[in-house]
Amino acid sequence: MNSDDALRVLATMERIRHFEERVARLKLAGEVFGLIHVSVGQEGVAAGTCTQLRDDDAVYSGHRAHGHALAKGAPMNRVMAELMGRETGLCRGMGGSMHLVDVEHGFLGATGVVGGNVPMALGSALASRLRGEDSVAVVFFGDGAAQGGHVLETFNLASLWQLPLILVCENNGFAEFTPRSAHTVVERVSDAVAPYDFARETVDGNDVRAVWSSFGGFLERARTGEGPFLLECLTHRLSGHYVGDPAAYREALAADEWRKLDPIVRLRTSLIEDGTLDEAAADAIAAEAIAEVEAAETFGRDSAYPPESLTAEVAYA
Amino acid sequence: MSSKPDLTWMYTQMVRIREFEERVKRTFTDHPGVIRGHTHLADGVEASIVGSVSTLREGDQVLATYRCHGYPLAMGTSADAMMAEIYGKATGLCKGIGGSMHLTDPANGFLGTSGIVGQGIPHAAGAAWAAQIRGNQDVVLSFFGDGASKQGSFHETLNVASLWKLPIVFVMENNGYNVVTQSFQEDANAAAGQDLSIKATGYAMPGVTIDGGDPVAVHEAVGAAVQRARDGEGPTLVESKVYRLSAHGNLIAPPGVPLHYPEHEAIEVFGDTEQYAAALRGDPVPRMRGRVVSEGVLTSDEAERIAQEARDEMQAAVQFGLDSPYPELDEALAYVHAS
Amino acid sequence: MSRELPYIAAIDEAIHQEMARDETVLYYGQNLATVENAPFVSDFGADRVRVTPISETAEIGMAVGAAMAGLRPVVELYMAEFMLVAMDQVTNEAPRMRAMSGGQVKVPLVLKAGYGFAAGWAGQHTGVITNMFLGVPGLKVVAPATPADAKGLMATAIRDDDPVVFLHHYLLTLVHGDVPEGEYLVPFGQASVRRTGGDVTLVATGWMVDRALAAAELLAGEGIEAEVIDPRTLAPLDMPTILSSVEKTGRLVLVDQAPRHSAVSGVIAGEVAEHGFGLLKAPIVQVTALDATVPYSEPLEAHVLPDEDRIASAVRSVLGTAPVAA
Repeated sequence: MNSDDALRVLATMERIRHFEERVARLKLAGEVFGLIHVSVGQEGVAAGTCTQLRDDDAVYSGHRAHGHALAKGAPMNRVMAELMGRETGLCRGMGGSMHLVDVEHGFLGATGVVGGNVPMALGSALASRLRGEDSVAVVFFGDGAAQGGHVLETFNLASLWQLPLILVCENNGFAEFTPRSAHTVVERVSDAVAPYDFARETVDGNDVRAVWSSFGGFLERARTGEGPFLLECLTHRLSGHYVGDPAAYREALAADEWRKLDPIVRLRTSLIEDGTLDEAAADAIAAEAIAEVEAAETFGRDSAYPPESLTAEVAYA
Repeated sequence: MSSKPDLTWMYTQMVRIREFEERVKRTFTDHPGVIRGHTHLADGVEASIVGSVSTLREGDQVLATYRCHGYPLAMGTSADAMMAEIYGKATGLCKGIGGSMHLTDPANGFLGTSGIVGQGIPHAAGAAWAAQIRGNQDVVLSFFGDGASKQGSFHETLNVASLWKLPIVFVMENNGYNVVTQSFQEDANAAAGQDLSIKATGYAMPGVTIDGGDPVAVHEAVGAAVQRARDGEGPTLVESKVYRLSAHGNLIAPPGVPLHYPEHEAIEVFGDTEQYAAALRGDPVPRMRGRVVSEGVLTSDEAERIAQEARDEMQAAVQFGLDSPYPELDEALAYVHAS
Repeated sequence: MSRELPYIAAIDEAIHQEMARDETVLYYGQNLATVENAPFVSDFGADRVRVTPISETAEIGMAVGAAMAGLRPVVELYMAEFMLVAMDQVTNEAPRMRAMSGGQVKVPLVLKAGYGFAAGWAGQHTGVITNMFLGVPGLKVVAPATPADAKGLMATAIRDDDPVVFLHHYLLTLVHGDVPEGEYLVPFGQASVRRTGGDVTLVATGWMVDRALAAAELLAGEGIEAEVIDPRTLAPLDMPTILSSVEKTGRLVLVDQAPRHSAVSGVIAGEVAEHGFGLLKAPIVQVTALDATVPYSEPLEAHVLPDEDRIASAVRSVLGTAPVAA
């Protein structure tokens, strides 16, 4: 990761962090509705991976998708408008938080059913292969999805057909509300794929440089048609499963402990230490993110709701 | 059954299964129209079946797939009732409602089957959970094919069984084919030349691969896994390498088209006569007959007498099935609900 | 004796009482038996109350096996849509086993799931997919509309010897109502007449029952007396109660939150058309959701889902006091 990359990654993480924090507040205020899952604390994975991808690379995400969509290039104001159910939203208000799709930027979408996206990504990887392109498919899923049958079915086929698919598991240690130890005796998701013998790495997902480097290595190989790959990122969800979840089942990290883990703080500090940034420049990056979030909020609020006719319009192609 | 394998019993059950399956197959030509729908035979798999169920005791249970004729025969189910079921008769094991793919005999520990690939695996885990709660150290055997190990149900169930230390042994009968497709065409491990028992490592579970043509080897491997399950140490995946000697199933066709068993896929689809000839040379039934005679367990005459008794028993089963009446029409709605 | 309880607590109470009464009852599912549900674990032990991975096929498939082996599993699925991940087990395993074995085995299990939200949960978590279960002989489907029915039907579901899909409507979760204490059973196949009236028969299910009752109050102000029937169990379906009401009113409006072409109302309409055609003074009208994936955006969600105004309009149309609604 060179210094230009690092600055881009830092800005992406700041954008996601401030977006997510704003969304959580808007949810509690009733301006964003439905089931909202935020990724505060997990920005390093989205930023360390998606910023290396092109628009023709397909990215799939799950119910916790805002960060991936933003990092993949979805315009923030349209993501916010979608969360507010507006016509100007990414999906014209039809999808909402769990169903973000931005075809133009290769964000083929989020699906609200755990692991349901994993076989879909295999299909995009197959399409890349059949079209003879060097594009790749990337799918984000949580450790909870790894116990799903359709995920195993994908492991086998991806391995058998050696498709350019990068599986990115965000292992935050919790499947929804349940700790991983109650789900499986297999500690690491990378161990679950061990029988299928494809290249896999487990990294500290809060160390965005490590994420960037491991993902970049896989990406380079996937571009030449190799695959599949599994990148397991050990992360820490800083809040409950959804906005409003009292999260009584988990121990919150002490604030100072979290400061040591926070991927944004870590990158920012290292960039200041190596002279790439000074405090003022770092603050400016955060300020720019905040301004973008505020503009997005205004954009959403000022946008109209979609017309009733939209429902019938999109029911069939 | 004792932990020391009873070779005479094993040989007898293997011959009975072979004869039963031969009669099912011959019914298509001897009595056209009597069997409707789909049958799947276990000829070639007898040693694996018999070696596996020889490890069980009263209270243990077995669940299997649509290729299900062998297990209940070896567990004590009446051949008459089984053949009548396959013929759709009122005297059938399931009163003619289940058919070949759904033989069920809870009284003899055969809890049933699923006709859908891989879907019986979680049923077996549920039965194992019930056994765990009963606390009698009962064990459940779950039989399925290699194709089922690509079904999500396999993955989900092995994970939970390992997590909960369920008293279950997963016996994967790898016959190298998924209907027509050969395993290396659809399984990443098979394509890499690996034993499929390696899949167990993904669940932190022991996995072992054995020659399913040797009933004693099967008895020992499954027996060790059964003992481990009985002791509360959790499940094991046993890959039993077998070769089914018949095609996947009989031809299925609209009414009016005669049904029959095509040639095995090795020949019919892949033209690989050598693969099939090799399988015939390794046929576990003559192998076992040779073994019991050469080891002095049985004389040649005794072995032949057992074979003749099996032929007679299965011929009688055919006759019983043919002579039995069809169910009354109101039976069709009799078992929709239990209450 | 009865006291007020929220709908969801009434269901929990039924499960708890049945677990205390019958040690073969199991209760398990994802996210269960974490600290929030600790009472079930402490009362009945970790053997009978278990948290599972996100593995719906294994969860439901194990229920089938455990049921055949003599237990009575209650699987907590939270959302009806999650059954779609394991649809083979729900529709092609659990309800088939008894028939295929010629009655040798029984499969007493309960698949407990919420359904039909209307609060921005969007396309994949808001469906009313009851018809996918209704068309499966062997499967029973219940959809209580009150806390008391929720308790009584859950207890009956657990004691029933067949697989039961128990659907509780999300919007009813915190609705309070009188719930009998102690053992309380509501039989399957018996509709509840929630309001009597002679002008029109309204049949509604789940959350729509309260909407139908609200519409009936609205209409009463216009001099129209509606009879409101809640079938309570969709399979088996109590057609005699519905037919005898139609005999009295001659008019039928069916209310269902499912999309129009997959609603239980279509089944009821077909039965009434066949067995009660001569009783009808006007065509049957169905008030259902539109045939659309439920949109996220609030105004659109309201557009596709039925409400009391649409129910009232439909009633006026069958009484000839307003044009027939589309």
